[in-house]
Amino acid sequence: MPMVIGVVAGAVVLALLVIVGIFKLMWRVAEPNEALIISGSKHRTEGLEEGMGFRIVTGRGTLVLPGVQAVRKLSLDLNETELHVDCVTHQGIPLKVRGVVIFKVGDDFVSIANAARRFLDQQKLMSERVHNVFAGHLRSIVGGLTVEDMIRDREKLTGQTRAACGTEMEKLGLIVDSLQIHEIEDPTGYIRNLASPHAAAVQRDARIAQAEANRLATEAEQQSFARMAEATRDSEILQAGYQAERDKAAAKARQAGPLADAAARQEVVVQETRVAELEAHRREQQLQADVRKPADAKAYEKRTLAEAERDARISAAQANAKETELAAAAEATRVKTAAAAEAEATKTRGAAAAEATRATGEAEAAAAQAKGLAEAEATRAQGLAEAEAIKARAAALADNQEAVVAQQLAEKWPEIVRAGASAFGNVDNMVLLNGADGMADMFAKALTMGGTGLGLARQVLSSMNQNAAPAAGTAGLNGFVPPRPEKVAVENDEG
Amino acid sequence: MTMDDAPMVGLMGRVTGTVGPGLVGEVIVRVRGGAEHFLAYPADGTGRIERGAVVMVMEYLPPRTVYVEAMYDS
Repeated sequence: MPMVIGVVAGAVVLALLVIVGIFKLMWRVAEPNEALIISGSKHRTEGLEEGMGFRIVTGRGTLVLPGVQAVRKLSLDLNETELHVDCVTHQGIPLKVRGVVIFKVGDDFVSIANAARRFLDQQKLMSERVHNVFAGHLRSIVGGLTVEDMIRDREKLTGQTRAACGTEMEKLGLIVDSLQIHEIEDPTGYIRNLASPHAAAVQRDARIAQAEANRLATEAEQQSFARMAEATRDSEILQAGYQAERDKAAAKARQAGPLADAAARQEVVVQETRVAELEAHRREQQLQADVRKPADAKAYEKRTLAEAERDARISAAQANAKETELAAAAEATRVKTAAAAEAEATKTRGAAAAEATRATGEAEAAAAQAKGLAEAEATRAQGLAEAEAIKARAAALADNQEAVVAQQLAEKWPEIVRAGASAFGNVDNMVLLNGADGMADMFAKALTMGGTGLGLARQVLSSMNQNAAPAAGTAGLNGFVPPRPEKVAVENDEG
Repeated sequence: MTMDDAPMVGLMGRVTGTVGPGLVGEVIVRVRGGAEHFLAYPADGTGRIERGAVVMVMEYLPPRTVYVEAMYDS
């Protein structure tokens, strides 16, 4: 059972595949650029006359019976044919023309049918056929034109082409899209000559234009140079100005730093100064508060105290003075009284004393007188006695000067010894080698010197005596001259 | 389903080559989904129609010939 189903299914599939394959064989589709020419069976052909024997399909698919109908394709593509034609123009000038014809099979069924009948097996040769057709036609076309027309009047060329070839190509089922003349070779130089005057004129104009342009260009160039120079000058002036400004600004900028620094420093200094001032102020305030105020207070205290003390003292002094004044007054009064009493007493006592004194004085005067008299008498007697004695000594001196001198020396001995000792007075520290004996020795020597001094004194005395009384003729021993007795007596006051 | 040629008569076209007596003109006509050119002759036989004029196909002679008449009196 399943096998039957499988076979049936396979057969169905196979049949489908076969049907599809047959359909693919039978169904032909025309490309956009081709026409299918189907011949074989007898059937109506759209657009064509009955009994034509084939039908034309374009742009769609159609069923074709393989083996019964034949299908041929006719390309509707564009074709082109190069033309190389020697021809003669209307003026009889030989030319070699190179051109191209672009043509195609017409799109209507009549054209396709005409072309199919003519070219279906010779599509590759279509260009050649057309070339042959066009070679002759181009000759006739060029023969109907002048060179000038060919060169300049394309409308005339295409018109002539249509007139000459249009109907001809219509017969072949072809249409000419374009006929282009590429190149015209001119062996006689007609075209060149034709062009020569124009070329010369153009050349002339060109040269004139060139010269004019050169002139204008030169003028413009020179003006431009002048302008450039002017612009350069202006620019340099401006640049110099700007450079100066730049330099100025740069210098200013360079100075801006130090200036800013200085300003900042100044600010700092100002602030520091302010701070210092504030500090000083604060310190002053502090000092005021710490030192001055207490000092003031203390001073005030002291002053107040002193003033109070002074006032007190003043008051005390005033009181004292008053007291003293009063006391003095009292004392004065007392003293005055006392003095008055004393004076009175003194006066009284004085009077009494005076009386007593007078009496005493008188008594004493009497006594003194008596005593004076007595003393005078005594003195007189003594004087007389002394005079007597001096006289006697003078006599003795006269008799024995030596003895007198010895006496005088003996009287002066202590002074002489003092003078001799004065020789040692200036000695701070005297070392005596012999001890006490040495000392005695020394003094002995000093006294010997005193003895020598004695000799000297004798000499002096004698010289003095010789000078005073050379006529006396009383030269003593060793030239000693005795002194005058008067002087000796006066100086030798023993009383 | 018939693949008939489109009816040409009554279509409008533009003259691309001067149409006139003694000349083979050319018009381009919209037909079969595209534009094709046809050799054109004046329908009245005397008028001259310059390039650019709009014409109407008065007659169609297969395969590629039409007789045209100017649409507007220019």
